[in-house]
Amino acid sequence: MGQEKGYLALMLHAHLPFIKHPEYPDFLEEDWFYEAMVETYLPLLNVFEKLTAEGVDFRLTMSVTPPLCNMMSDPLLIDRFKHYLNQRVELSGKEIERTKGTEFEAVAHMYYDKFRRFKDLFENVYHDHILEGFKKFQDMGKLEIITCGATHGYLPLMVHKESVNAQVKVAAADYRLRFGRSPRGIWLGECAYNPGDDKFLRDEGIRFFFLESHGILHGTPRPKYGIYAPVYCPQTGVAAFARDMESAQQVWSADSGYPGDARYREFYRDLGYDLDYDYIKPYLHSDGVRRNIGMKYCKITGKVPLNEKAPYNPHEARDVAATHAGNFMFNRQKQIEYLSTLMDRKPLVVSMYDAELYGHWWYEGIDFLEFLFKKIYYDQTDIKLVTPMEYLEMYPVNQTVQPSMSSWGDKGYHDVWLNAGNDWIYRHLIKSAERMTELANRYPNADGLLKRTLNQMARELLLMQSSDWAFLMTTGTAKEYSTKRTKDHIKRFNELYEQVKHNRIDEGYVYGLENSDSIFQQIDYNVYSSAAKDAVLNQYK
Amino acid sequence: MEKNLSSAAFNQVRPSVPQEQGDIPSGYGTTESYLLPKDPAWMFLFWEITNETFDYVRGQYGADVLDHSRTVIRLYDVTGVEYFDGTNANAYYDMPVIFDAKSWYIHAPQAGRGYIADLGFITPQGQFILLTRSNMITLPPGKVSDVIDDKWMSVEGDFIKLLQLSGADRIGMGASELMQVVDQRWRLTELAGAGNAPSSARSSWTSFALHTVPAPAPQEDEDIWLQADCEIIVYGSASPNAFVTINGKEIKLQNGKFSLRQALPAGAVLDLPIKASNKQGDKTRQVHIKALREQGK
Repeated sequence: MGQEKGYLALMLHAHLPFIKHPEYPDFLEEDWFYEAMVETYLPLLNVFEKLTAEGVDFRLTMSVTPPLCNMMSDPLLIDRFKHYLNQRVELSGKEIERTKGTEFEAVAHMYYDKFRRFKDLFENVYHDHILEGFKKFQDMGKLEIITCGATHGYLPLMVHKESVNAQVKVAAADYRLRFGRSPRGIWLGECAYNPGDDKFLRDEGIRFFFLESHGILHGTPRPKYGIYAPVYCPQTGVAAFARDMESAQQVWSADSGYPGDARYREFYRDLGYDLDYDYIKPYLHSDGVRRNIGMKYCKITGKVPLNEKAPYNPHEARDVAATHAGNFMFNRQKQIEYLSTLMDRKPLVVSMYDAELYGHWWYEGIDFLEFLFKKIYYDQTDIKLVTPMEYLEMYPVNQTVQPSMSSWGDKGYHDVWLNAGNDWIYRHLIKSAERMTELANRYPNADGLLKRTLNQMARELLLMQSSDWAFLMTTGTAKEYSTKRTKDHIKRFNELYEQVKHNRIDEGYVYGLENSDSIFQQIDYNVYSSAAKDAVLNQYK
Repeated sequence: MEKNLSSAAFNQVRPSVPQEQGDIPSGYGTTESYLLPKDPAWMFLFWEITNETFDYVRGQYGADVLDHSRTVIRLYDVTGVEYFDGTNANAYYDMPVIFDAKSWYIHAPQAGRGYIADLGFITPQGQFILLTRSNMITLPPGKVSDVIDDKWMSVEGDFIKLLQLSGADRIGMGASELMQVVDQRWRLTELAGAGNAPSSARSSWTSFALHTVPAPAPQEDEDIWLQADCEIIVYGSASPNAFVTINGKEIKLQNGKFSLRQALPAGAVLDLPIKASNKQGDKTRQVHIKALREQGK
């Protein structure tokens, strides 16, 4: 331990549901992945590359969830992403000519330079496999990559613990495949924690997870340090770290939050709508409907109509991001200084956010992070960036507290994932889980087509359990798609179940599903057996 | 609404990926029920009861037993009960229920307790007939624990300060503030009448929406806070072959019955004309239900 007064742990949760539709030449919802790649994941890695080249030491914890890892490794999606990126390079190149001598010249150059840089990074540095980039910084000790439930399943609403066990075990196996070691931490989907589920984490050697603040504040007994130190779960000793509200609000407050600054980029003014139709059409989806294409030339400007937005100035916006990073750091210094007067150890502030907020929604959020890392490294000595593991190495003795059931959703519990708009799904999710275990128990040594079928059933079950579907039904965004996905996986699972039960497996049907719902190529359905669950729980009897 | 390629392109699907016909199962042919936690005050119970189960009950207790009995959820407080045998609960509570609703939100008598729910009948003689018993759940306490760890004692004043700094008095207040930022900006531009950005712009990936971000720090003199919400259930029955709509939208009948649960936000007027018509469409019956939730402060 050095002269610092306390610690800051930054945690970014990177996740998208598994979306892959080989049956269509062009699929709208796949764009979520391509947008996040070009606006968040590659820009983040680009920052890590720059910091490393400049000799700036930094620490960041990131979940890269199993569905995301699977999409990032999928040949079809990689091909489609390269097409998406090439199109942007091509369009932004044309735009250099078109905007010459206009007030949009600077922003056009910005896109051209960035797209070309990301293409170079993706193709030449990471050889089309972006996970290579993440692994590189993890191996350097600067980035701690943690896993997540296999499909971001909502654990507290899983009645059958075999399902909880499978979410954790399948995720850990996938992590080992991608990163060549076991995960040390996990992000529970939606930070949704159910007391006792930490037993399944420990069985995979997972040392820590994250909670919403009341997960620890409402824990038993009272947490001595509030949320400014982790606690250990009873029996398992898995550490729980809770979110700091003050730093969360610093960034996102409606009144004083950073992303609303008038000089930042305006999300809702997009070239997909602005440009001449014949000119932009080759860059739209095959149906030719105008949509956002991710290139935006205006700044927020102020409370004016969209057609009165002023041109975006990249240099001005980057300066604002630097100012905001300075402000964020200053506030953490003050916060940690004050906290250290109340505690008999150095306080830890855990700031956690959805990764896609940085870059996708808050375009300059990437610059903000770059400046924050640099300022913390160069400009001060009060606070130090750490990963949860580094903290636990410094402070191996922590209070034992049973955290409370909680989530980071609106109202702090399960309302977002269990309400009148989506509660119908649980009848099917729970029945399917029960049926999966029934078959796993009945056929412990399946081989050939039966084995493939049972493995595909496990994939369908995992995919229907993605908390994203229930979430999207609640927000109303992509409600139609999320409802269809839920129903498709329920239907596919139950069709396979009937085929197994009646001994009439249709190989063509199984093959088709293996091709489209292709997540977790290495899965073993035996993970759903009651014996696998009992092997974990019996350790505590 | 944005036109979705995924649905627009159904007809030109490539044959390699199976497309399922029909709908998801309406039931699984087993009598069972499951209880899920929602928050410190609420749980969700859902169930399926087969005709065989009803027949069995009639066979055991008389053909007309169901017509004269009350249908209830019997909620047991089983906190600290190691093995629940139906008689050793700390307490139980009966609440009327409509079996055809297939699910019910149950208000918990107390946060932080363990619960099991039975579905069953109470006969005129007061006998409880069990149809199905749920799994057990434990609700979160929803407050700071009274238990103090003597190995990890702290100065009381410092603990209170840490608790406040941690946000203990702000939990649950947060609607997503970022969503508000984005939404407000959107509304402002819409109000300003630009009109050239279609609402489809909203369809971009918004994984953060509804995640809790705390409300602004409370002022020194701020009062205590309270939060409450409301949903209503509309239910009824019609001739089994009738075509029933609620507010113009078709609602499917299950054994001649229907139910609809809907949120009722503050200040909302819910206008629900319910209409049943026969196949030919020449005979109709209507019931009009209107609910107003006053904008309380």
